[in-house]
Amino acid sequence: MTTATTAPAGRLTPSPRALAGGGLNALRRHPLLLVLALMVLVFQLTTGSFLDPGNLRGIATDAATLAIVAVPLALLVISGYLDLSVGSTLALGGLVAGWLAGQQHQSPAVAVLGALAVGAAVGAVNGILCCYFGLSAFIVTLGMLTAVRGLAQQLFPLPLSSFGSGFAWLGGSRIAGIDAPVFIAALVLVAGALFLALAPSGRHVFAIGVNREAAYLSGINIRRTPYALFVVTGVAAALAGAIKASVLDSVVAGTSGAGFELTVLTAVLLGGVALTGGSGSILGVLLGVLFLGCLQNGLTLLSVPTFWQQMAQGTALVAGAALAYFGPRLTR
Amino acid sequence: MTRSPYASSASRRQFLALSAGVAATTALAAAGCSAPGDGASAAEAAGASEGRRTLTKIGLDYPFTQLPLYATLVKLSTAAAKKRDVSLLTTSDASSADTQATNLTTWVTQKVPAIVSFPMVFEATEAIAKRALDAGLIWVTYGGSLEHQSADIQFSFLKGGTLLGEAAAKWANEELGGKGKVAFLTDSTIQLGRERTKGMIDAFTKLAPGVDVVAQEQAIDPDTGLSKSRAVLAKHPDLNLILGVTDAAAYGGFKALQQTGRKATDAKTFVGGQDGAAPSLLAIKQGTFYRASAALAPQDIANAVVDVPLAVAAGKSNPSAQVPITLVGRGDTASIDDLLAQNA
Repeated sequence: MTTATTAPAGRLTPSPRALAGGGLNALRRHPLLLVLALMVLVFQLTTGSFLDPGNLRGIATDAATLAIVAVPLALLVISGYLDLSVGSTLALGGLVAGWLAGQQHQSPAVAVLGALAVGAAVGAVNGILCCYFGLSAFIVTLGMLTAVRGLAQQLFPLPLSSFGSGFAWLGGSRIAGIDAPVFIAALVLVAGALFLALAPSGRHVFAIGVNREAAYLSGINIRRTPYALFVVTGVAAALAGAIKASVLDSVVAGTSGAGFELTVLTAVLLGGVALTGGSGSILGVLLGVLFLGCLQNGLTLLSVPTFWQQMAQGTALVAGAALAYFGPRLTR
Repeated sequence: MTRSPYASSASRRQFLALSAGVAATTALAAAGCSAPGDGASAAEAAGASEGRRTLTKIGLDYPFTQLPLYATLVKLSTAAAKKRDVSLLTTSDASSADTQATNLTTWVTQKVPAIVSFPMVFEATEAIAKRALDAGLIWVTYGGSLEHQSADIQFSFLKGGTLLGEAAAKWANEELGGKGKVAFLTDSTIQLGRERTKGMIDAFTKLAPGVDVVAQEQAIDPDTGLSKSRAVLAKHPDLNLILGVTDAAAYGGFKALQQTGRKATDAKTFVGGQDGAAPSLLAIKQGTFYRASAALAPQDIANAVVDVPLAVAAGKSNPSAQVPITLVGRGDTASIDDLLAQNA
């Protein structure tokens, strides 16, 4: 569960000891930070180019779509639910955006809004079935994963490409010197953190995830908040799809976003969000996303052969998850 | 059904297989293309024992339903079958070898008279093919050969890679004076990927030995091609060539180069792939540095899907087909338009 660290009243500048203590606390709560720092150090020492600005920019851009979906998904998992349909929703969102921009010659704004509407619709179906009908989120979203993929392939059996220079803005432009996807991801991360820390609904997310019945008896609407999170997750997945479509200037219904649901869930769980609900933080999610992005990039820079890369990725993930789990217990 | 933790590698395989399918082939058996030894002898045996018969139904079992080729292939094969007064059945294997086995077994039980199948696991399909032949059905293997079969539809994956490697090497020698840097986007997970990769790398390194090979990265889809190419470009910003085992992966590399500031018409850059995928063909046609694709014609494959089983039914002695792969470049506008029309 997120904990807010606040300075004592009237004390504007924390002492070095307090800063050091805060850093240690952060490490205790997020041991993945240590793993990430070590990994970055090793990659820099071995490749010599890992920390080059161009490479860091590439990592950030690659990780942006993951972060955009990981944040709302993390909130959903904290509230005790799950959405496995995000990979297919991403594909459908990208296809709708690409179709509107490329074949219907709509403005980029209309194309993106169309994608978001489709994502919201998928999320709403998930939310209604899971939150109001009480069906298993695992089963429902697994079914939607397949159904939405089938729908995408039925509607768009052939690859879409050439969406025009206007639509390329979404994935290729820079805002305040930052690549647009990274800027959007940063906004999503900040919004997620503020929501959890400041909004009453944010606190409700934890309460519902810890004990749904107790939350209900406390007067919390245990359906509305998770339902909204399903919708937001669908919207985020569709937005990520539109961004990917813009970056690649093409989308293929059958393969776009395939396996993405597991990658994003891995990032969320690596970041310390409990699959059983009730605990997690946006900082942890960010670390999980960066961990996956840096690992993939570093192994490529090192030219590690394919199968060794797979083994290294699997091992690193297990090690990271173990540290995230045992770290806080060992340092208590 | 949930995806396995290794879904990404599975999707790569599917993508590649799809490409393979696209590449596949053509030509009518009547063209007299040579078939692998086993296939030919089996076909002759099958033809001899079956004699002449009339086919009214052909089952096409193409397992990689997520690939764009699937929709194109079904559309074109259905049309080709209709022209010959044959109806076409299809399976929905969803890239699952287990599902494929179940569907094929059902067809054999129902005695679908002719089955054209692209086995996901050739060894596992052998027994089903044998049961089909024992039941008097026609079995055509797509993308390879089985011991038990009436005929096959083959593609030379190695040749596709070789064509691309040769073209890229020729360009490097002419435009870069035989110097520069190349990155290969490869596949080592399935046989056809390994063959394409080998053809591409062997041909290039043999003909352009002065070009430094700075990366060989597994990538068959555009996302992976993009992220791997970005990483390679961070280390080698002066990279000149990206050659892909699929057009999809190469297209990701194409986008990565553009995003690092390379002009789409840069004279010192070459990107090439394999399959003849529409986005890549369009990029070639537009005169960008995406310069070549080793392409397969879906119409040729569709014709073979219908004509090979019909040839077996007609008792032809060598009904198998070898689908040609051709390299298309900037000047091949007519070929590109034709391929794009087939994919429309």
